[in-house]
Amino acid sequence: MAQADIDCRGLNCPEPVLKTREALSRGRGPFTVLVDNEAARENVSRFARTSGCGVEVKNVAGGFLISVTPGLESAGAPSQAQLTCWGGDSPTVVFISSNVLGSGERELGEALMKAFLFASAEAELIPARIVFMNSGVRLVTENDETIDHVRRLEARGAEVLACGTCLDFYGLEDRLAVGRISNMYEIHSVLTSAGRLVSL
Amino acid sequence: MGPGDLERILARLPEETVPELLTSVTAGEDAGVYKLADDLALVQTVDFFPPIVDDPYSFGQITAANALGDIYAMNGRPLTALNMLAVPCGLETDVVGEILRGGHDKVHEAGAVVTGGHTIEDDELKYGLAVTGTVDPRRMTGVGGAKPGDLFLLTKPLGTGLLATALKGGVIDEKEMADAIDSMRRLNAGAAEVLARHRVKACTDVTGFGLVGHLADMLKAGGVSAVIWTAGVPFFERAVEMASMGMAPAGLHRNREYATGVRDQTGREHELEVQCLFDPQTSGGLLAAVDPEFASVVQRELRAGPCPDAAMVGQALEGAAGHITIEYERK
Repeated sequence: MAQADIDCRGLNCPEPVLKTREALSRGRGPFTVLVDNEAARENVSRFARTSGCGVEVKNVAGGFLISVTPGLESAGAPSQAQLTCWGGDSPTVVFISSNVLGSGERELGEALMKAFLFASAEAELIPARIVFMNSGVRLVTENDETIDHVRRLEARGAEVLACGTCLDFYGLEDRLAVGRISNMYEIHSVLTSAGRLVSL
Repeated sequence: MGPGDLERILARLPEETVPELLTSVTAGEDAGVYKLADDLALVQTVDFFPPIVDDPYSFGQITAANALGDIYAMNGRPLTALNMLAVPCGLETDVVGEILRGGHDKVHEAGAVVTGGHTIEDDELKYGLAVTGTVDPRRMTGVGGAKPGDLFLLTKPLGTGLLATALKGGVIDEKEMADAIDSMRRLNAGAAEVLARHRVKACTDVTGFGLVGHLADMLKAGGVSAVIWTAGVPFFERAVEMASMGMAPAGLHRNREYATGVRDQTGREHELEVQCLFDPQTSGGLLAAVDPEFASVVQRELRAGPCPDAAMVGQALEGAAGHITIEYERK
């Protein structure tokens, strides 16, 4: 009998997809899903591809074993960002260059930034990309609460970029908890090609 | 149960052969029609299912609208309805009351009356109705009758199965599928009236077998093939997105598996829309074969009246009976 991280045998649609979604939002490592019918095989594969994961399906005794690798954009399938981000074809980019929102009392600025990221993660439409720069990188390295919100955005299809020079400067290069390290060339291109730029 | 299984089971039953029976059980007709006189026949149908929305009153309305839909598809007039209810023990009586109130209101809106019903205990809540109406057999619209060149008009958007699955999974809430709920609650009475005025050649309502499945039944009965243009098919907001999220109900996959005579020529970029063509519908719209000369007039009347989303979704062609080609747009 095939071993799987998530056993969805005997479950009806949409349960297998919901369990896959839960696993995707929990962590970033690859995992396997075992399903026992064609409908669940197709639904789980489609959902994983839409979420930007690599998908491999093997026929096994009693069903199909689906290997899901987060973060690999598979060719051809529409990414979730395309389907749910503001502006459709002209992607919205959110540029966060500080760990506080607005100028004023530091405590208020931190709370507002946290609330902004929470609201972003809850919103129906998400930005295509979020760029963290200068002290903004603290939000994806030091602060567990904001890391959580950004992870949810990433799980929904947003691409998260953190400035490598900034991580280096603050000595946080080993602590990046969500997204990937980027450089000024890429960030420059992301900011200047944005359909709409939200700058904080 | 998928269309394939049902066909196999029905084929093993002895065929009903009394001359008064004007419909065949195996032809994919929406309702049974039994002739009483030259100008009068009984038309009967039954339908029940588990809740597809959370609000019990809406569920009652939707179930009744769905059951009544088969009568309208035959160009019949509903007269009486019987309730069928399966209730888990311990379910609040308020909930049951709201379901029945929704059903009764819809039956009354259709000009019919509820004459009784039957209740049993079951693990899962289910509600449905058996509806009886009358039809003039000479004015009846069956599934057969489409001729090459006829255009197919669909009176409601597709996607209720995908949206209901997403609702069940907590991916969307009822507010996000409000249009679909309104549509499912809406009777096909107005649409049927417009179609009857123009003497459409064939008609069915799009329900569990999806647009492709019900169209295939019409084509088999009419001895024609057809093309569907996905660009012309109306979908509820977010239905296509839910297809990309893997929210396809099991029935969609079964419908797709059964659809053997279907050729998809749209290409990969339209695969999600194509998938939606197989989505099982609850209280879906009417699908009618209309003479190409009148089709745009009928569509205009439908849109101006009861069906703002009515659209020409395809055309009947000469060719192997029941075969369907899916193209992106009309050439």
